[in-house]
Amino acid sequence: MKAPRTLGAALVAAAACLLAGCGGTKPPPGVVGDPDLGKLALTQYACHSCHTIPGVVGSDTFVGRPLDGLAKRPFIAGNLLNNQPNLMHWIRDPQAIDPITAMPNVGVSEKDARNISAYLLTLD
Amino acid sequence: MPQAQTRLIVKTAVLTLLAAGGLSAAAGLIVWRAGWYNIGATASHLGIVYKGLEQAMRYSVRHHARNVPVPALGEAEVLRGAAVYRDNCAQCHGGPGTAPGTHALSMQPVPGPLVDAAMRWQSRELYWITRHGVKMSGMPAWEFHLSEADTWAAVAFINRMPAMTVRDYKTLTAMTPAQGQAQAQDQAQAEGDAR
Repeated sequence: MKAPRTLGAALVAAAACLLAGCGGTKPPPGVVGDPDLGKLALTQYACHSCHTIPGVVGSDTFVGRPLDGLAKRPFIAGNLLNNQPNLMHWIRDPQAIDPITAMPNVGVSEKDARNISAYLLTLD
Repeated sequence: MPQAQTRLIVKTAVLTLLAAGGLSAAAGLIVWRAGWYNIGATASHLGIVYKGLEQAMRYSVRHHARNVPVPALGEAEVLRGAAVYRDNCAQCHGGPGTAPGTHALSMQPVPGPLVDAAMRWQSRELYWITRHGVKMSGMPAWEFHLSEADTWAAVAFINRMPAMTVRDYKTLTAMTPAQGQAQAQDQAQAEGDAR
């Protein structure tokens, strides 16, 4: 009697996970922040209006480059080493790094940039 | 005998379809009435809902804009459009190197950039969207707020945007309408002289 109930609970939890998106995604080694919060935050800074991002529902857009496989790229923004501090800097103030980039500063806070970069660095 | 069999098959098929349709409608009604679909703008649409609505919007615009006549749009319209765009569009759509306002970042659907709009839409469609807006997207209708000339000027500017650098955009949108007009006149004169 108990086993089916546990199974049922597990099924319900799995369904809830599928519907609402499971919490508890771990950032990759050496990366800090909460990838799940980052995934939510990046939709609140309209990152997905210019970038297609795996796991984020949106239009097919090619204004910025697609962000799939970001974790595997050696460089970001052309010639910046791909690590979390650089990615956070780029997200927060792209024009400080590349004055002629079309990517605008959308006012991302440090905390949100940490979480957003944590999510993007899970994309491999 | 075969006739009776055929009737049985048809009857079963029809009843099965009716039952499936009824069950789907009931399930849909329950989800709708219970409020389970999250209307909040921090939760994403289901992919199928988003893509379905977006594609419906494309088909609708294509259909409704099919007979809109497009006037000649020149440099004067681009310059006039720069001011129109800056004053009415950039708040939500931003521009090359220029962020939209905070409110637009967290809208759903996101208004999104228009730097590539000319690669996705015809002039008549851009005009139609601007004039009539898009239901339930946050895009307002400008028919009663922008003149015909200003609406077409905005289209002319949007058409130019794919070829605009960050600096071009800043220069063009920094000009007052009068400056823009003066420059357009100079340009027209220069073109006339060249001819």
